[in-house]
Amino acid sequence: MGLKPQDYRTQLWIDWCPGCGNFGILSSLTLALSELSIDPKKLVLVSGIGCSGKIFQYVNVPGVHNLHGRSIPFATGIKLSNPELTVIVHGGDGDLLGIGAGHFVALGRRNVDVTVILHDNRVYGLTKGQASPTLPYGVKTKALTHPNIHYAVNPIALALASGYTFVARSYALEAKHLKEVIKRAVQHKGSAFVDVLQPCPTFNDVHTPEYYKRITYYLDERDWDPLVRNPDEREAEEKLLKAFKLALEEERLALGVFYQNPHVPTFEERLAERFKTYPRASPATSPIGRESRTLLTPETFQKVFRDYIVETLQGY
Amino acid sequence: MDEASCLLGGFQGSGVETSMMVLVKALAHAGYSVLAQREYYSNITGRHSYILMRICSSREARSLSYPVHLIAALDSETVFTHAFELTEGGLLVLDRDLFPRKLREVASMEEQLRERLERRLASLGVGDDIESLVEHLASHAGVKVVAFSYRSILSSVGEKRRIPPTQVNRYLSSIIFSAVASLISLKPLYVEQALRSHFKGREELVANNMAVFEEVSARVREAKASLELEQPKLKWERLLVASGNDAVAMGKVAGGLRFQSYYPITPAADESLFLERLSYDESTESLLGPLLVLQVEDEIAAVASAIGAALAGVRSSTTTSGPGFDLMVEGLSYAGMNEVPIVVTYYQRGGPSTGQPTRGSQSDLFNAIFAGHGEFSRVVISSGDHLEAFYDAAEAFNIAEKYQVPVIHLLDKFLANSVTTMPFPDLDKIKVERGNVVAGGEGYKRFSLEALVPPRAFLGDAIFWHTGDEHDEYGRITEDPENREKMYRRRIEKMQLIRDELPRERKLTVQGGSDSNLLLIGWGSVKGVALDALEALEKEGVRGAYVNLKLLWPFPGEEVKKLLSSAEDVIAIEHSYGALVGKLISMELGVKVEKSVVKYTGRPITFDELQPALKKILSGVEKRVVLKHGA
Ligand SMILES: Cc1ncc(C[n+]2csc(CCOP(=O)(O)OP(=O)(O)O)c2C)c(N)n1
Ligand code: SF4
Ligand SMILES: [Mg+2]
Repeated sequence: MGLKPQDYRTQLWIDWCPGCGNFGILSSLTLALSELSIDPKKLVLVSGIGCSGKIFQYVNVPGVHNLHGRSIPFATGIKLSNPELTVIVHGGDGDLLGIGAGHFVALGRRNVDVTVILHDNRVYGLTKGQASPTLPYGVKTKALTHPNIHYAVNPIALALASGYTFVARSYALEAKHLKEVIKRAVQHKGSAFVDVLQPCPTFNDVHTPEYYKRITYYLDERDWDPLVRNPDEREAEEKLLKAFKLALEEERLALGVFYQNPHVPTFEERLAERFKTYPRASPATSPIGRESRTLLTPETFQKVFRDYIVETLQGY
Repeated sequence: MDEASCLLGGFQGSGVETSMMVLVKALAHAGYSVLAQREYYSNITGRHSYILMRICSSREARSLSYPVHLIAALDSETVFTHAFELTEGGLLVLDRDLFPRKLREVASMEEQLRERLERRLASLGVGDDIESLVEHLASHAGVKVVAFSYRSILSSVGEKRRIPPTQVNRYLSSIIFSAVASLISLKPLYVEQALRSHFKGREELVANNMAVFEEVSARVREAKASLELEQPKLKWERLLVASGNDAVAMGKVAGGLRFQSYYPITPAADESLFLERLSYDESTESLLGPLLVLQVEDEIAAVASAIGAALAGVRSSTTTSGPGFDLMVEGLSYAGMNEVPIVVTYYQRGGPSTGQPTRGSQSDLFNAIFAGHGEFSRVVISSGDHLEAFYDAAEAFNIAEKYQVPVIHLLDKFLANSVTTMPFPDLDKIKVERGNVVAGGEGYKRFSLEALVPPRAFLGDAIFWHTGDEHDEYGRITEDPENREKMYRRRIEKMQLIRDELPRERKLTVQGGSDSNLLLIGWGSVKGVALDALEALEKEGVRGAYVNLKLLWPFPGEEVKKLLSSAEDVIAIEHSYGALVGKLISMELGVKVEKSVVKYTGRPITFDELQPALKKILSGVEKRVVLKHGA
């Protein structure tokens, strides 16, 4: 339909700090959306609480900025109710992997067709720089009083272990790469996860653009094939193991798609096996009443609740 | 007798609940009205559970009462625990093989009860074994003992019906419903139909159970025992046998529910189970469309996904109890801020903390009304009985959508887990009213300040935003003080609209003489027992009315004030310590409700204890009576 990236942007002034990696994520996202040419009305951007979560109002598509950590269940309720919608979650590392970690795992288990984009700045930006769950042990970023006493969670490994069927890493300042990865993630049928390394110049003075430049490298898909091509378990297992191994590499951080398995049925597909009419008729698209009356007529009531109905047999 | 109380007991996992279902259905076939309430531990196997039921032949059974006319016991714990609840000349059905069992051998019994019973038996000079106890009851309380060997029944049925010895024990609990049915002289046809309905046509099970019924009937005849209950005079042809959980689930379906999320918790989960069973039924789907029931990872996800579904335009709901509701509170406040119509069905149980997970309580009134940070509009409704719960569950969606607020349907374990013969609902009364729904379009303002209830579009129809932060008319964050004041006020002033627009019968119902000086006031599951107590008082010349508060929030102050002004004695009745409804009235109207009857043991208020408690208060002896009866 020929929408340009700027058509996916609102006119609001953006209140991130100068040099914040979130700017890069925003522009790669709108680029990806315009290239995918998705009807803005049929998109929903669900975002959590944090600097990252503010992205919802800079994108000119329906936005649901919700509670700290709860974007995934919000997105799940939206997507399953109306599977026609393309649902994208944006959240910080505190949001998705700290307070919302349980939901993060649950989404992988379900494989709902939702894309999750992690703004991984390794700090709690909006609350002024505390350690986030992805900050490595022993590191002391600017606002910490002492070096980090916690070990970090490995987002890629956690996503793989949870069952996400598309898992990738990209970098906020690599606009083209990030755009491509987001496109692939959105196009993937199933739960997709993108860990976006994101500089936070205000609070993370350790993981700077220079640091990321030094430590990251691109996966070359001529010799790295993350896609499970056959629906047989062997190939999936082999590629999953390789992806895990790569996820554990921490001296250098690979950018690219770690794993993609299109053969696992989505939650929606599994629902469709139980409901004959889903997703054609979804909760959002099926009528609930007839001219402000209930759909239940006395006859349908008797059919639907037959097990609870008792006729008196007096006289028999 | 035109009504009777019965008690069926056994250890958890022995089929007491099945017995109850079959018996209630058989009684319904006969035309009786029944209310049966299940008492059980937070335990899967082994602990004592029992059913207390009231069977009425000429009026609606709406309360429970002690003493009982009949006990049918599966085990010795039932006999020891409840034997003294029998009325003079009552019936006790038990297993003859239990006679030598001693109190101290009942390993599953809790220490406190054992000690109380030991003291009681000692003071009566009765030995601590079943046989001595039974003899005592027979000689001192005229109890008619119907004892036969359960094992011999089972082995004879096993032989006749060729049931493998390893499976025959499954029919143990059939003995107790058979005994009750035989003692009431229910026709075998009623029992058979009930079994057929319960076992969904698995004829083998029906036949095996009928074989037990025949054997037991023969023993009952031999014992020349019977419960002289009058033939039913109620005129109905068809009714529902449903628990409170079932009634709510049916009401939700009638109201257009399309998405239900839940995290398992007693006593709420059975409602979701009902819906799950229904939703994947092909004929249901073809009649009603897809109803998605989603078990999620916690109650936070439950409320969050329900909100998500509502934003997509779906009638959505989540179901929980106190601990789960606490986890939902941040989401509730979000729904208030974003004017999202969701329905939270809140079945109270005994708190605080996990408290008494399987016992009843009404102590969460304030939690439902006040939980949540910030000020926002919400509606809290409650239901006095199963039929009300059905209508209210459907209507909750209309209120939620018309006013774009979260609605909390506050119920409790007593209603959730009691099974009753429920009149057929009038489906013409069920409306589906979605309020101010629009398609969106250019310049659409989801949070328009033009009217108290803004136009609502669904995700997929328009571009607009939601945020828990204060927002402008489009839903974008703004901290501007003038916008804040307007948005804030609009969200809260909806409450007045709700108060003004809801019809009186949704706010409260008054039964009994409204011109009388005595006013009982309560909400939820105390309705039946309060009405029965009033009726009994009336026979003694005391006239009074019961106010069944249905709209708990916004509080229907005008209506309640009018009622209170003409009453001399106002007595609050509640399953709590604090008689919270009285405090709510004080807060809203500045009128102190000083008299109350409360109970917080986790067991329901029964008719026999409420009536004397009220008399004590009316005669000026006490202002507050705390009830404690029931095992
Ligand atoms: C329940 C709750 N607890 C705490 C907060 C405060 N809070 C706001 S943002 C935030 C952390 C954000 O960190 P992250 O998710 O990494 O996002 P970032 O700002 O780094 O993008 C916290 C703790 C909150 N909003 N809600
Ligand atoms: S604090 Fe960090 S993450 Fe937040 S806006 Fe500033 S630079 Fe970006
Ligand atoms: Mg962060």
